[in-house]
Amino acid sequence: MPMQIGEKEFKQRVTKGLDDNFMRGAVRSAQGRLQNNRASAADELGDWEDWRTLGKEIRQHTIEHLDYYLHQLSEKVAELGGNVFFAETAEEANEYVKNVVKSKNAKKIAKSKSMVTEEISMNEALEELGCDVVETDLGEYILQMDDHDPPSHIVAPALHKNKEQIRDVFRDKLGYEKTEKPEELALFAREKLREEFLSAEVGITGCNFAVAESGSFALVTNEGNARMVTTLPETQITVMGMERIVPGWEELDIVVSLLTRAAVGQKLTSYITALTGPKQSEEGDGPEEFHLVIVDNGRSKILGTEFQEALHCIRCAACINVCPVYRHVGGHAYGSIYPGPIGAVLSPLLSDYDEYKDLPYASSLCGACTEVCPVKIPLHEQLIAHRRNIIEEDKKGSLAEKVAMKGFGQMAGSANLYQMATKMAPILSTPFSSKNQIRKGLGPLKHWTESRDFPKPANESFRSWFKQRNKRGVQHDVRKH
Amino acid sequence: MTLGNIENRERFLSNIRDKIGGLSADKPVQKPNWSTQPQYRVLKDQNQDQLIKVLKDQCKHIHTDFYHTDEQHLDETLNEIFEEYGVRSIVYTCDSRFQDHKVDTSLKQSGLDTWEWDDNEKEASIQFSEKADVGITFSDITLAESGTVVLFNGQGKGRSVSLLPQNYIAIIPKSTIVKRMTQATEKIHKQVENGEDISSCINFITGPSNSADIEMNLIVGVHGPIRAAYVVVDDI
Amino acid sequence: MKVSLFITCLGDVFYVNAGKSAVELLEHLGCEVDFPETQTCCGQPAYNSGYHRETKEVAKHMIEVMEDADYVVGISGSCVYMIHEYMHLFEEDSKWRDRAIALKEKSYELTQFIVDVLNIEDVGASYQAIATYHTSCHMTRLLGVQEAPFKLLEKVKGLELVDLPNRQDCCGFGGTFAVKMSNISEQMVDEKVDHIEETKANLLLGADGSCLMNIGGRISRRDKQVEVKHIAEILNSRGDR
Ligand code: SF4
Repeated sequence: MPMQIGEKEFKQRVTKGLDDNFMRGAVRSAQGRLQNNRASAADELGDWEDWRTLGKEIRQHTIEHLDYYLHQLSEKVAELGGNVFFAETAEEANEYVKNVVKSKNAKKIAKSKSMVTEEISMNEALEELGCDVVETDLGEYILQMDDHDPPSHIVAPALHKNKEQIRDVFRDKLGYEKTEKPEELALFAREKLREEFLSAEVGITGCNFAVAESGSFALVTNEGNARMVTTLPETQITVMGMERIVPGWEELDIVVSLLTRAAVGQKLTSYITALTGPKQSEEGDGPEEFHLVIVDNGRSKILGTEFQEALHCIRCAACINVCPVYRHVGGHAYGSIYPGPIGAVLSPLLSDYDEYKDLPYASSLCGACTEVCPVKIPLHEQLIAHRRNIIEEDKKGSLAEKVAMKGFGQMAGSANLYQMATKMAPILSTPFSSKNQIRKGLGPLKHWTESRDFPKPANESFRSWFKQRNKRGVQHDVRKH
Repeated sequence: MTLGNIENRERFLSNIRDKIGGLSADKPVQKPNWSTQPQYRVLKDQNQDQLIKVLKDQCKHIHTDFYHTDEQHLDETLNEIFEEYGVRSIVYTCDSRFQDHKVDTSLKQSGLDTWEWDDNEKEASIQFSEKADVGITFSDITLAESGTVVLFNGQGKGRSVSLLPQNYIAIIPKSTIVKRMTQATEKIHKQVENGEDISSCINFITGPSNSADIEMNLIVGVHGPIRAAYVVVDDI
Repeated sequence: MKVSLFITCLGDVFYVNAGKSAVELLEHLGCEVDFPETQTCCGQPAYNSGYHRETKEVAKHMIEVMEDADYVVGISGSCVYMIHEYMHLFEEDSKWRDRAIALKEKSYELTQFIVDVLNIEDVGASYQAIATYHTSCHMTRLLGVQEAPFKLLEKVKGLELVDLPNRQDCCGFGGTFAVKMSNISEQMVDEKVDHIEETKANLLLGADGSCLMNIGGRISRRDKQVEVKHIAEILNSRGDR
């Protein structure tokens, strides 16, 4: 699945989202739970702000020395007998993985959840080879069965579906005969996927964090599928976005502690699996062969810019879980596999403004995202920076808006013009108002008054009241009380 | 051990270096002094017995059955769990601690179908594990805060034992209990620093497997074990 | 204490009573209030839309107008926050940056000023109503004023204050967002109005004209019987009116 998903036009996608009551109900309740879980986990830990500060410092230091740590990582992996491939583009990454799979003559590939492989359309590339690629994360499996419905959330990809819809997918595609009870659905998937794990020749995983000092990888999961994928197949391929790395184990502790709490409110998820190289020769299970693919795919464009902090992201989705815009439009409306606030920041960076110029505006700048981000990425400020870039550098703003803003700048930058404008307000709006509210506005107000009334300007502005009052000589409060 | 290949590294890293103004990769980078280290404040001053209490309480949140026993009564406790879980077949790791604490003899005498993990019989071991009712391992480090057992898998200690069976039992020597992940990662970091090999697969296991992918409802038992029990053992 | 009032655009033109009340209230609390007449808008509409060059002109003007004040007190948390942001506009211009920082340091939102600077929590107000309070995003999260409005409202005689469910949620205003993404914004403000209705309050209070205009506009469109007022109006009520 490429990064871009859904209809071409942002407006269409939004309307589709707003009209989807099923989805909105599912998202609303999921957000509620996730928000509560996160908040209580943070409270329980105590010192949450200190944890965030430390998380931010670690991420910042790592990204500022990314070349060093990636070098160290690759050295360690190679020492352990693993192969490392640095892929600048999606094509390079897919080509490499395809070659590994071909050399193994593999037919079945089991995958655990990985956003970066979605981003680079790795499944499609492997399917071209005639391979059977099975997503084994329950949420991803559901989507794959549903004719590759795109993910709508980076942690819970099938968040937009309710259990009845999932039951129907299993029934129509897999002959499932039981009810919509989540336990029954999960048990069914467990049995189906067991067969796949046992017969897969290659396992592909993503990577939550690589540990540079030892050449290790941590996979953070609850279901156990990533353990299966790294225990049973003979060959393991791990694909990581180049920023997903920490210097050492002590830093791993911090980012994992932040991730599990911020993402799902757990102290640790059921399984944190830290893998170091292929299995040792004297060991029984585990992969004989290990490949690491480190992917750039546009990330290095972000380095050294005002958006560098976006690379600090640990993909916890806390910002998505609090976002009111996401709540109403759902993940697919963003048109990117990275939705929500981080998606609105990241998608235009990994792709471009042509593709994603609407996303930075899909925010009321309420700052809820910035407040919860466990590594303190100033998400709403980054959205404003995008807007500034779109206007000042990319020159993509609408002409009308530009003229209006220029006028605004001149007006608000000058006392006389400003005062004139404020004086004009009541006069100009009088013909359109009933009582004290305007029900049908013109120009930009038109959109406003589609759903809300607009107040009628007061007959006497504050400034003229104040002037009169001073003339009358009222200085200090002389009213009796 | 043969060295692995590294491909396309120089071009990739020099591009990064250009952007961040980095020095050359062989100049060691010093980690800064972090301005705050809250991880050391968690459960500070708690002694071993208090940590057991923390672990026990946490088990309630992670859907894990908690038992506390001593070496003498360990086999009794295990049998109790076997009964509770309806266990007929058992796989356990090839770990000297099973002999040291006579667990293996009591398992073998239990009349249940048992299998000790055998690296040389990989396929058979996996097949047995896959069908087994329970997998048993010792915990190498135990994290009280999160209710986590840390397993250093390796020779004799197959990854599958704690993963494939229906149920999982971790035997937790009291002395392995530490406050939180910080103490475990510190230990691993020291090993790395001293140039020691670390386990090829370190599992941090916190209860049974689960998923919340369907309407954020917690379902316990997805790909890994469906039930889990921790047995804390005094004196070992 | 000498205070220069920062009235904000909406306060100047639409919510005139909020400004009047703020003046009277501050005077009642012993302050001398002046109104620098050449003040304009804080520039936030342009800033949030990405027009930072234009914002800079506005910021310079506002700095010039306000920098002689002892204290600047604004009646909108969001606009006061904008003043606090000016310094970031001048990353490469240390002279203006310093002036922006100096202004930031003496600029307060009204309730923040009363509680933190004047150290007053009981302003001697009384008002009969069942009210709920909307915590606006910029004031709470960015300016960091969380407790002050509640401390003041709790002391108002006759006022029953009920909790607004999901009060941390944005009302959907967001400046041009309400116009550019009006269908999303509508859903957000609708949710807010639903929550307000749940409280059964007959009065909605807030410290940000823009949020009040947004929520109030939706309340009025949905013909709900909830009055909308700026917190200053309540704090300036003494039951004799
Ligand atoms: S931006 Fe922050 S909150 Fe959002 S996913 Fe990344 S780390 Fe989590």
